[in-house]
Amino acid sequence: MTQALDANVAVADLVSPRAAAAPAEIAGKETSKFGTFAIAFGIAFAILYTLFERQNWPLLTYHPAVGRLDFLRNMGVPEDGPPMFWYGWIVLAGAAAAVLGYVATLLPRQVLYRLATFSCVLAALWPICYYLAGIIDQYASFNAEFLRSTWIVGIPAWVGALAVTSLVSSRWAERAMIGWLFLMPIGGLVILGYSLNDYFTR
Amino acid sequence: MDTQTFWKILLFVHFVLAVGLLAAVTMQAVGVLMPARQAVGGLARRLNPMPLAPFATVVVLLYVPQALMGAWVYVKYRTYVRIPMEGFRHWWTVGSFEFKEHVVTMGLALLPAYWYFWQQPQAETHATARKWLTIFIAFTVWYAFAVGHVANDFRGVGS
Repeated sequence: MTQALDANVAVADLVSPRAAAAPAEIAGKETSKFGTFAIAFGIAFAILYTLFERQNWPLLTYHPAVGRLDFLRNMGVPEDGPPMFWYGWIVLAGAAAAVLGYVATLLPRQVLYRLATFSCVLAALWPICYYLAGIIDQYASFNAEFLRSTWIVGIPAWVGALAVTSLVSSRWAERAMIGWLFLMPIGGLVILGYSLNDYFTR
Repeated sequence: MDTQTFWKILLFVHFVLAVGLLAAVTMQAVGVLMPARQAVGGLARRLNPMPLAPFATVVVLLYVPQALMGAWVYVKYRTYVRIPMEGFRHWWTVGSFEFKEHVVTMGLALLPAYWYFWQQPQAETHATARKWLTIFIAFTVWYAFAVGHVANDFRGVGS
């Protein structure tokens, strides 16, 4: 009896107007502006927050001991106590990601997918190149200190990102969009976690 | 009310919100990880699965004020807790708490996408995205809760 009732429910689910309309709703959702904004915002925020934290580019600095808020990075005097930059990174990354998210809603789909691929591959390659440059500098028999420059190691990262963006198919770029939404925050956390290594190895 | 009591009340509210958030996000994460149908007594019986989509709104409505509350309490942590923590050389706790900032921030960044994908809970095309976003958000909440609890044990409510 229970099975019969369940079978009826299952069939009803399949033929209900809601179920029949589902594919159209999915396609409609995929092109919704909020969805595009949300995905682009998530990707951009993860990249920018990691960048701002690593470069220490806050929009604001808060000095909790004296309750003072400064614009941009301000270490203050020792009497001011420890400065807090976290709020500044979040505000700056949030504002920039919101603007990029909005811009993403205005772009043609294929341009957006290509731009996302380029940005994410660049964001992944740049720290990898920087890390490899450090290893080369450490073990090379010649003076490779110039490789420690953030901008020098950016060159192969840009070349690599341009190459990948031009080589991948449109379909791959489209499918990768949601993948970047996971990879960028996880990659950001790997970089940020690694930067805290000093605390765990003391 | 003295300052210490005020901060302790704030920390307690932070804890209560955390428990609510933890419950909501864990229910949803378990829901996306476990199958809706289970074999019971040799018969394939359809268990009425709990609707998971409403949890998304609850999680967003708790996550945002919780993060704001955490950002507020963080002011006190920076001066009143972290400095003595460094003095006692509790580096693992300090490092874990630093990482908590980043984990919670990344979770906050993914909330719009998480909420968006849960607006179409029947859409199979986004099932994977929904699942992994939920797991990621659950991870951020659990991590933040565990590390916050350790920091509270060092210097907080009841320590």
